[in-house]
Amino acid sequence: MAINLKTSSVETREQRLGTIIGWDGAASSLAEESAFSRGDCASCGSSRGAKARRVCELQGPFTQGSVCSEQMVECQAGNVRDAVLVQHSPIGCGAGQVIYNSIYRNGLAMRGLPVQNIRFVSTNLRERDMVYGGAEKLDRAIRAAFDRHRPNAIFIATSCASGIIGDDVESVARACEADLGVPVIPLHCEGFKSKHWSTGFDATQHGILRQIVRRNPTRKQDDLINVINLWGTDVFTPMLKELGLRVNYVVDMATVEELAQMSEAAATVSFCYTLGTYLAAALEQDYGVPQVKAPQPYGFAGTDAWLRELARVTGREALAEDYIAREHARVKPLLAALRPKLKGLKGYVATGSAYAHGMVGVLRELDVEVDGSLVFHHDPVYDSEDPRQDSLGHLVETYGDVKHFTVGNRQQYQFYNLLQRVKPDFIIIRHNGLAPLAARLGIPAIPLGDEHHALGYQGMVNLGESILAVLQHRKFHQDIAGRVRLPYKASWLAEPDPFALARLATV
Amino acid sequence: MAILALKQRSADLAPEPDSSGPIELVRYICAIGALQSAAAIPRVVPITHCGPGCTDKAYMNVAFYNGFQGTGWGGGPVTPSTNASQREVIFGGADRLRELIESTLTVLDGDLFVVLTGCIPDLVGDDVGSVVRDFQKRGVPIVYAETGGFRGNNFTGHEAVVQAIIEQHLGPDAGERKAGLVNLWSLLPYQNTFWRGDLEEIKRLLEGIGLKVNVLFGPDSAGISEWRDIPRAAFNLVLSPWLGLSTAKLLEKRYGQPWLHIPVVPIGARQSTAFLREVAAFAGLPSAPVEDFIAREEARYYNYIDGFTDFYSEYWWGLPAKFAVIGDSAYNLALTKFLVTQLGLIPARQIVTEDPPDEHREAIRAQFRAIDHDVSVEVEFDEDSFVIHDKIRSTDFGQKPPIIFGTTWERDLVKELKGTLVEVGFPASYEVVLSRSYVGYRGALALLERIYTTVVSRSA
Ligand code: SF4
Repeated sequence: MAINLKTSSVETREQRLGTIIGWDGAASSLAEESAFSRGDCASCGSSRGAKARRVCELQGPFTQGSVCSEQMVECQAGNVRDAVLVQHSPIGCGAGQVIYNSIYRNGLAMRGLPVQNIRFVSTNLRERDMVYGGAEKLDRAIRAAFDRHRPNAIFIATSCASGIIGDDVESVARACEADLGVPVIPLHCEGFKSKHWSTGFDATQHGILRQIVRRNPTRKQDDLINVINLWGTDVFTPMLKELGLRVNYVVDMATVEELAQMSEAAATVSFCYTLGTYLAAALEQDYGVPQVKAPQPYGFAGTDAWLRELARVTGREALAEDYIAREHARVKPLLAALRPKLKGLKGYVATGSAYAHGMVGVLRELDVEVDGSLVFHHDPVYDSEDPRQDSLGHLVETYGDVKHFTVGNRQQYQFYNLLQRVKPDFIIIRHNGLAPLAARLGIPAIPLGDEHHALGYQGMVNLGESILAVLQHRKFHQDIAGRVRLPYKASWLAEPDPFALARLATV
Repeated sequence: MAILALKQRSADLAPEPDSSGPIELVRYICAIGALQSAAAIPRVVPITHCGPGCTDKAYMNVAFYNGFQGTGWGGGPVTPSTNASQREVIFGGADRLRELIESTLTVLDGDLFVVLTGCIPDLVGDDVGSVVRDFQKRGVPIVYAETGGFRGNNFTGHEAVVQAIIEQHLGPDAGERKAGLVNLWSLLPYQNTFWRGDLEEIKRLLEGIGLKVNVLFGPDSAGISEWRDIPRAAFNLVLSPWLGLSTAKLLEKRYGQPWLHIPVVPIGARQSTAFLREVAAFAGLPSAPVEDFIAREEARYYNYIDGFTDFYSEYWWGLPAKFAVIGDSAYNLALTKFLVTQLGLIPARQIVTEDPPDEHREAIRAQFRAIDHDVSVEVEFDEDSFVIHDKIRSTDFGQKPPIIFGTTWERDLVKELKGTLVEVGFPASYEVVLSRSYVGYRGALALLERIYTTVVSRSA
């Protein structure tokens, strides 16, 4: 389905891709039910004619606080180095300034960039503004942001409150843009509009595509590769240098100019299709920048295929083959030394969707057993609709099935039953809120704040070493495991089915 | 999308446009942040009726990236939430809330549930009260507070939660008073990075002079049974510039309980001793045991201070002379008092950042003006970090590098000023805080260690 950059709001993931947030079964079944395979779920009936593919979704009455799209806008648009993010909201939404400042500062330090505070301005809507509207305050905040920081772009994040009172953010932005001479970009990310936060990535990318990316580039940079990522360490520069390619990291910690030049690049890649699906597909559709359609760069199979496709798209096949051969030779003995130490261990992956597909593959490469995984949502298809990007299918075909594959919107109460089902020795997480529960059960967690940690050939070695290190933490976790009580009722803790409430509700 | 129905609020809507402007780098959050106040009471579970991100924002930022405190029994990721969607915005969310509460009772183990609302239900006009009252009628221990983001900040949200528990969960009858029992209303849990250790120290001091303390929040509280004991207390102690005053007044009205207001949270021997004497006099305690306790505490305190004197008088490489404090009124006042009266440091700028209600500002100003017999401070009220940083930049700190008591937001600024930063408030993202306390006799020693370790470790 085509991406529509004419409208100001992005279409939500559920509209575009049929995204779900509740599912439980074998990974192979989910891959089957997803649109890359057939596009219809037997029990839901045909979804032909519907915009997005349908997968049966489990929905229960009990839910714990999740995450919203606006937070994803904060962690993307808010980390553009020479821009400012204006949050059009009451002060509570501004709380995110704290976490993303910490991540931003540490990310800058990891990349060797000058460390500085993030630049977020909240319009600080009050009760009165709920009645009379907040447009005037938005205007003031945008102008203040400009006067204070002289940014090269100003992003506006909308909020639940500004959405409900119906503020005309578009007109304010247009007027300010005309006066200030820099892009002023509304990002429509009201928390209630999409059931999954990943729509917030798309909202940011939509705004960047509409108002920052150079429309009719006069030059082509044949060796420039857009790398859609977050704040992770710079592993792409040395890797792509082997192919004679340069890296253009977007969106986090990029400059506005680096975002603008995306249309001049030779190709687009990302470390995770969940994050990159919208931007990469739109760059291809509207600017002719091909996106690399291959398995993600995890494990030998994924990394080989990914490098070969990137090389094919950029005409560098010979260089790639040489690099692949050297890396295999370098890494294989390292892995051979790691595998015996890891054999027999059970791992559990609880991360974002496509990223989890990659992590499970890496664990299997390391001879770690994986019987279960939790992903926070599932996209039955990515925006390219190209089966070469079927990351879940790739996992199942290359590494075999995952018996207990669960889709859940970061629900800690279910996580207990999920862990009981597979009893892992450690878990891999991104996103907060789950590791503390695992810890209280005596299970240590590897939190992957640096999203590039397990990427590529070296990533397998990195993750193997991290597992060995975190297993030592078991001493700590097992010490507290016997001493804490969980806030869940005994009857719930005894429940074997994490979706018992949902199934009751649908009967 | 058009506004549905803003709930009728009688007289409290400002008739004139308010002067509130943009805020950069927040120092407090919205009222729903008080979900962590509910979670600060052992075995109490907050339930939030709001958009999908509000809960995460409140706890990740205030409880995690602020000293990495942990979230408590029912707070943080345990917190049930409606994660309100388009459907609840268009059709109202009362049914969804009812369903969530019902299922919460089957999943979570709690002594009391506190429903907090966010922007969405408060804007679309959900009748949260009637949903919760239905459960109350069934005997479910549950209360609700309206804490929509635009209604106020996490300080006023905290008061709303406290008052909801008092009004909706405690009986109207005071019953027998317990002599020597006091309810303590002090620092804002989680927002204040050191609240747990601080409450523990304050409780220790009050018990030291012979009182029993309903500390109400934190690991030293017995939880809801202690809250049910609130009406039994002989009096309420409000130990903060303004937070807790409205609660004390409510309790006076409801149960005829007297209250004592001490605006300065004590740090160091002079303040702690004065504090204990004032409380003892109000409570009518016999003076001999009080003075005994004070004597023992002071002896220990000054023993350590005696050791510190060598350092303070003889350290070769210079110590800061002037300081600024950027923080909530409670800690700002407490620190300024301690640094001026006990260490003899010179206050260069004091900025109060939690947007205290207008009616309390004059009293806060008066406290700062009377910091010491020879020192008067003109305090400023600001919430926007851009403005705050500009003020600090233009402050005359003299020849020596200044010491700034502030937050993570000041890290860049302090580098620019070549000064020293001690992170003492929200957000303190580069501090790990377990039981550390900066108040009382013991906390003051920890604070001195912190200040001068920071100064000394930067010197080479
Ligand atoms: S301001 Fe409103 S939408 Fe934002 S976090 Fe607070 S309650 Fe939620």
